[in-house]
Amino acid sequence: MATVREKGYSHWDGKLAERRYPWWPITRTGIRLAFRKKAFKFVFAGAFLPSFVALVGLYISERLEDFKAIVRSNETLINVSPKYFKTIFTSDGLLFLIILVLSFAAAGLISDDLKHNSLQLYFSRPLSKRDYLLGKMSVVFFFVLILTAVPGLVLFIFKMIFAGSFKFFLEYPWLPLSILGYSALLTIFFAFYVLLLSASTKNTRYATILVFATYIFSNVLFGILMGIFRKPAMALFSISANLQQAGAFLYGQKLPFAFPAVWSFAVLAGICVLSAVVLSRRTRSVEVIK
Amino acid sequence: MSIEVKGLSFRYGKIVALDGVSMKLGEGAVGLLGPNGAGKSTLIRILLGFLVPERGEGKVLDYDIRRDQAMIRRSVGYMPESDCFVAGMDAVTFTTYFGELSGMPRQEAMKRAHEVLFYVGLGEARYRLLDTYSAGMKQRLKLAQALVHDPKILFLDEPTSNLDPNGRTEILELIRDISTNKSIQVLLSSHILADIESICGSVVILNKGRLAAEGRMADLRAIKYSLFELRLKGDGEAFRKDLESLGCRVDEMEDRLIKVYMPEKSDRMDIFRAAARTGVQLRYFVKSQTSLEDLFAGVVGVD
Repeated sequence: MATVREKGYSHWDGKLAERRYPWWPITRTGIRLAFRKKAFKFVFAGAFLPSFVALVGLYISERLEDFKAIVRSNETLINVSPKYFKTIFTSDGLLFLIILVLSFAAAGLISDDLKHNSLQLYFSRPLSKRDYLLGKMSVVFFFVLILTAVPGLVLFIFKMIFAGSFKFFLEYPWLPLSILGYSALLTIFFAFYVLLLSASTKNTRYATILVFATYIFSNVLFGILMGIFRKPAMALFSISANLQQAGAFLYGQKLPFAFPAVWSFAVLAGICVLSAVVLSRRTRSVEVIK
Repeated sequence: MSIEVKGLSFRYGKIVALDGVSMKLGEGAVGLLGPNGAGKSTLIRILLGFLVPERGEGKVLDYDIRRDQAMIRRSVGYMPESDCFVAGMDAVTFTTYFGELSGMPRQEAMKRAHEVLFYVGLGEARYRLLDTYSAGMKQRLKLAQALVHDPKILFLDEPTSNLDPNGRTEILELIRDISTNKSIQVLLSSHILADIESICGSVVILNKGRLAAEGRMADLRAIKYSLFELRLKGDGEAFRKDLESLGCRVDEMEDRLIKVYMPEKSDRMDIFRAAARTGVQLRYFVKSQTSLEDLFAGVVGVD
């Protein structure tokens, strides 16, 4: 017979567990909250467009005979190689779509907590600063990986399915690693980048504008400096140019700018370090009076 | 003892927030009193592990405040003073979320969130977005998130601030129920003396980062003063000076009622002798019980 409980407050008879991944509820909730925004769903769906176009390209490349009427030039029109993957995943369009998705889904991750004083609620739980930040970063990881690593690997698999052989895999066995490596780079960089800007303000709208504006301003600055100095190293001022340079290196392709890829890695790492410092200072459970 | 601290000191830069505070708190509801800047919130933050003390040691439920912070936070519920919530959530999601972060399984946290939301009076509004909640509802919500994991101790920081009289009464009723019927210890920090007086059996008074008084309310009242209320006819000024020379504190109220705080060792007959000496007539004489306000004024030295 079931126990009849007293109406009102009753003690919980379960046992609080020490979680292996205490940050996981933060990540799951962050992802769910993003999908509650109507506009985000459209943006997120639209962000798969480059991958879908690439998939169509893959299909056409394997079925050229069927598309002779449309594709009149020679068979090398769509030559699927690591360069094909690099072109898709380092394109300005995809990078911009990632920024767009993150501005909806992640710009408010920390700024909202700062605005509504909820950090003290998080830290009154058995949660460290590292758990909190990892939980928030994992929201960015989820969205960036789903737009880069997942389509990249799916395209790779579909290439073999459309070809009906493992020839492509045997020719480029390192390509999946390149896809994963570049996706990891994007994921880590964007996680630090977005959270840095999110932690810089208590206003989510400002954070969204900052995410966009910083990205675009860096490109504009690159354009202006390039126009003045005519030196490829000016690309170091551009976020997208650095990501493209690093991407080309990871895909084993010719670098788009005439300077070592390690410089771009250093710039991206520098932004991550700056972000880590700012995040550590901004995510305090109490305001410290100096 | 559920909370015990020894020689606790903390400073924000050059500002001393706590200076060698030692105390032991037992069961039931304990009031934490003190003027602004006395160190109340700093003490709670140290007990929660938000701040690391410069000196001293302490234990909450036998867990060391320096080493076992995670265990303390698992066993303690905290209701902060300021408004705090997560935008875009409803009350059920919010309370479940913090239950999960405390270590509850998701399903259990969800079930429990419904229970505590009904308990704090948010049952009907539990699916409404928190952004649309009133100040009173947000206070209740903070209490719900502090209770969701069934803590052994509740730290309540100014739980009735920003509330209208009805809301205040209702929150106080809940806190009283929690501390008396649900065997959860409550540490209630407030500057509203009446709140503490109505709920707490014992009190800790901090002043300028130091412990000014600590103990059961009844004991503190008895030890510190004897309070007499009188009405006079005659030269009140001479009478007042006479009593003050005996070590009494004399306050005249607006309705000409005079309150005399006598040191515990003094004899009440001294008041009559002083009246005789200064030629005033005592028209009304009652021994009164000291209120917390009287105690606070006496200990902290402010009116």
